[in-house]
Amino acid sequence: MRVLHYVLRRLAYMVPVLFGVTVLVFIISHAIPGDPASMIAGPKASREAVENIRKSHGLDRPLVVQYLTFATGLLKGDLGTSIRNHRPVTADLADFFPATLELTLASMTLCLVIGIPLGILAAIRRNRITDHIIRVFSVFGVSMPVFWLGLMLLFVFYRNLGWLPGSGRLDAVLTPPVQVTGLYLIDSLLEGNWPIFVNALWHILLPAFCLSYVYLAIITRIVRSSMIAVLGQEFITTARAYGLSEAVIVLKHAFKNSLIPTVTITGLSLGELMGGAILTETIFGWPGMGKYVVDSVNSLDFPAIMGFTLVVALVYVAMNLLVDVLYAVLNPRIRY
Amino acid sequence: MAIATLRHHPRFRELGLTVKILGRNPLAVAGGIIITAMILLATFAPLLAPFDPIGISLSDRLKPPSGNHFFGTDEMGRDIFSRVLYGARISMVIGLMVVGIAGGLGTLIGATAGFIGGRIDNFIMRLMDVMLSFPSLVLAMALAAAMGPSLTSAVFAVTVVMIPKFARLVRGEALAVREMPYIAAARVSGAKNGWIILHHVIPNCISTVIVLGTLTLGDTILVAASLSFIGLGAQPPTPEWGAMISVGRKFLMDQWWYATFPGLFILVTVIGFNVLGDALRDVLDPRIRR
Amino acid sequence: MKKLWLSLCIFLLLIAGPAVAEDKTTLVVGVSSDIHTLDPGVSSDNYDWRQIYPCYDRLVKYKVVNGEGSTEVEPQAAESWTVSDDGTVWTFTIRQGITFNDGTPLDAEAVKFAFNRTLTIGKGPADNIGAIESMTVIDPYTLEIKLKNAYGPFLQTLATDGASIVNPNVMQHEKDGDLAQAWLAENTDGSGPFTLTEWTRGQRAVLEAKPDYWGGAPNIDTAIVRFMSESADRRMALERGDIDIAENILVDQIPALEKNPDIVVKRFPSQLVEYVYINCQKPALSDKRVRQALNYAIDYQGIIDYVLQGNGVQMRGPIPKGMWGHKEDLFQYSLNVAKAKELLKEAGAEGLSLTLIYSDRRAAWEQIATVMQSNFRDIGVELNLELMANPTLRDRVDKGDFELCLGAWSPDFADPYMFMNFWFESDKWGLPGNRSFYKNEEVDTLVKKAAVLSDQAERVKLYNEAQEIIMEDAPYIFLYQVQTIVPMRKNVTGYVYNPMLESMYNFETIAK
Repeated sequence: MRVLHYVLRRLAYMVPVLFGVTVLVFIISHAIPGDPASMIAGPKASREAVENIRKSHGLDRPLVVQYLTFATGLLKGDLGTSIRNHRPVTADLADFFPATLELTLASMTLCLVIGIPLGILAAIRRNRITDHIIRVFSVFGVSMPVFWLGLMLLFVFYRNLGWLPGSGRLDAVLTPPVQVTGLYLIDSLLEGNWPIFVNALWHILLPAFCLSYVYLAIITRIVRSSMIAVLGQEFITTARAYGLSEAVIVLKHAFKNSLIPTVTITGLSLGELMGGAILTETIFGWPGMGKYVVDSVNSLDFPAIMGFTLVVALVYVAMNLLVDVLYAVLNPRIRY
Repeated sequence: MAIATLRHHPRFRELGLTVKILGRNPLAVAGGIIITAMILLATFAPLLAPFDPIGISLSDRLKPPSGNHFFGTDEMGRDIFSRVLYGARISMVIGLMVVGIAGGLGTLIGATAGFIGGRIDNFIMRLMDVMLSFPSLVLAMALAAAMGPSLTSAVFAVTVVMIPKFARLVRGEALAVREMPYIAAARVSGAKNGWIILHHVIPNCISTVIVLGTLTLGDTILVAASLSFIGLGAQPPTPEWGAMISVGRKFLMDQWWYATFPGLFILVTVIGFNVLGDALRDVLDPRIRR
Repeated sequence: MKKLWLSLCIFLLLIAGPAVAEDKTTLVVGVSSDIHTLDPGVSSDNYDWRQIYPCYDRLVKYKVVNGEGSTEVEPQAAESWTVSDDGTVWTFTIRQGITFNDGTPLDAEAVKFAFNRTLTIGKGPADNIGAIESMTVIDPYTLEIKLKNAYGPFLQTLATDGASIVNPNVMQHEKDGDLAQAWLAENTDGSGPFTLTEWTRGQRAVLEAKPDYWGGAPNIDTAIVRFMSESADRRMALERGDIDIAENILVDQIPALEKNPDIVVKRFPSQLVEYVYINCQKPALSDKRVRQALNYAIDYQGIIDYVLQGNGVQMRGPIPKGMWGHKEDLFQYSLNVAKAKELLKEAGAEGLSLTLIYSDRRAAWEQIATVMQSNFRDIGVELNLELMANPTLRDRVDKGDFELCLGAWSPDFADPYMFMNFWFESDKWGLPGNRSFYKNEEVDTLVKKAAVLSDQAERVKLYNEAQEIIMEDAPYIFLYQVQTIVPMRKNVTGYVYNPMLESMYNFETIAK
């Protein structure tokens, strides 16, 4: 019951934040110099054509009116019409969102699958050579310019070794699987189309690793430090005294107790990963929202920029909420 | 006035001790060496660089690394080594400027909000929450795009993005300080809010801010370089690292050296700040987590 | 653990082999930019036309002479036509037996519908066929088009993408009076040799050939357009054989491609020109001696040799080589530092400081800008560079808020009108075309007169006269005419380049 109260309070608290987010996004995108009307009209359009478009898109009205139009539309799930693609931004984002989600989830999986064991390993080999190597690996991670890492990976695995593909989600000649979730890795399995699955997996490896490296490093650190803290506690010593095997102690008792910080950081990272997708998708030609927004910035597509920024902010806020709630559930000691 | 008072504050004297402790930590020493080296390279770039970083020589285009051009040349025949050295200047200046301004403003905002409390606190912190509702790069990108691509907009954007991080942290500290008995004493003796914030609240947060500042320096350099990489930061012919990688990317397949060296310098510099920052945190303020 | 990973990798490698068995002929083109819209009535972008054009027929098409594209037109959906003596009434006889995918015949009504649609939508393509005043269906296969005034380039404009004939039945997809724009943005409905069957945004578009196309079945079954934004990536994919044709490859990567025995690199003289707008309304630049000095300051040969790696020629006057009206013996500026300095001194404009704005729309611009900066330094002019997003740049050009600006221009139809009238008519100031805000009444009179004549020889004479004045006035710096480079796999045959169809492919006759 108290948890429910807490969740409701957190939800109510989101309202002003979300309002602020929409205002901020609107202000930012309308401060951009440049005339979107002439962009829509095309390179050689006459002045009248440009004026017509300005009117029909409402670009000549006062900013407050434009914001109100934007906000009312928003409540109806309408993010406006993309200037570049002449279609609703929601439709554009819906097309590009699955690719970003797939990349983000794949990166998250890599983070957990590699990060947790590395963290545990570092903790139980504390201050030994394995620990030092893992720590150096994670210092590199948090300090890595993602875009540069991506280029280096491409240079080695695509250019020189030729092992992995350089861009896209599938080979050009392959037809994407019928859309169910929009994630090729899952849709191809649902379809039972093994070659497509393998091809999609092949394509996602490099970008997923590139995107995950920073958070991989963070998760490794968190798991390591919380494991170290837990391993030093009394109940572990007691367990050892009872003669429990080291593996049982580490996995069943110690790791369980370091779960909370791991969950927290994982949830927070998911939002950050979506932001990080801007660079990774641009480098790897991954057709997701990140690449979409970089293209939109170049053509000054207001509604598209607003749409992307809003969606990412929403995901981010939602993940924060989820983490807080999970935290409350997992940790009964929290004060509401 | 405030600075002079700071020097005698017990928190500040603590710093001297901190430096001594840090000297015994090999990681901190390594970080310190990297940072010192980068600052030296940046300062003496005009003396160290063998070529003019923006002087073009079309007949020397895209030459591989050699005894003459240590890091090769770019598509305008400019010496990449010289450009990377000058790039160190730009990144260092950006980093220090952003952290200086964002740290200063953030501290002021956080201290004021936390100390005064009430509606002002509520309003300011909601505003900060709104800004923290975006991943750093996304907000910085939107801001920089809005202002038109230039180094100034990038610096502005990154500064704005970093302010709430300082404000939130300092506010927490300020809340705690507010309850201290000596604050009540100062109040009773007629001190004004502004005076108390400058003389008691901020000095109490100094070590926290220094740790966060060092860690933020690395992040700042990364975000600024990322902005330049997507074309929203430094403009040609400015030898900024991210911008160099952005162009070098086009030549990656045949001229690997172009994008490789500026990237290595970013990596090493950021490692320096992060390692130093981590060590500082362990010594000064174990509460900050990243 | 390690062993598990290793065996997993080997397993994946084994099954990752060739993915599909080829029984159909598929041509894959690697291109730099996604489609924005597929509506011929909306798009002004060659990257869209690349997919739209093969899906529709037009009244006329460009001739192919000895396997080379020509800028002259010949009948396509129109069998023949006549024109009134004053050049204002055109009567087209339409070929019978052409049908759209749903069986609707392509007749006079269909053509009228398509043109009206484009004109009503009123975006970029409408300007190309804007000379049309009214259309009358004489009989089901005869259409009379009345023009507002005689317009020299009219027939040429009918070969442009905006003149594509859309199936009148698209109106069944109309929503809220949008003339089916929403639907046509993502679908095609034409009588051309191909139909678009898939467009996965950011990834690829698939064009399926129609074996029963009235003009003969295409040689390939499927054309796939693969969107790959990086030149380096397209080049690698071409070398690996993942794609058959790669466009927009950076000139620096061409020599490496030429060494590959499986690749053929073809070069074609394009009509795409790159030039500098000198804003004649700015105080320092209103003096033609200053503008001439700037023209003398540029190292044209250096730019072509190094930045373009030889893949271009210096422009001679505004009309590019290959377009009629190009004047072989017209004056051409060349690098002359002494002369430039002298002119500046005469004009009393020494110690000048100017700003050049440009965007990253063309790969070479950054290098050109840097070269110009260094060239100008040699004549004592300081040049500041300002790179900006293309929309911002266009905005500032339109308002005349710049001193110097880098630009590129390619003709939409094969007529010198595209250069002489767009660039120099004083009522086209700003984005429409006269981007140097140039005004010379003599030139105005000459080019406007040339526009309404249909006698080509007479028009050439007028344009020649105007060109002489223009070279003296120097409102632009004419840099170079680009050479289009199209690298492809050796087994691709029948590719035809047409300078009017830049970045587009003749999928209907290409074979593999």
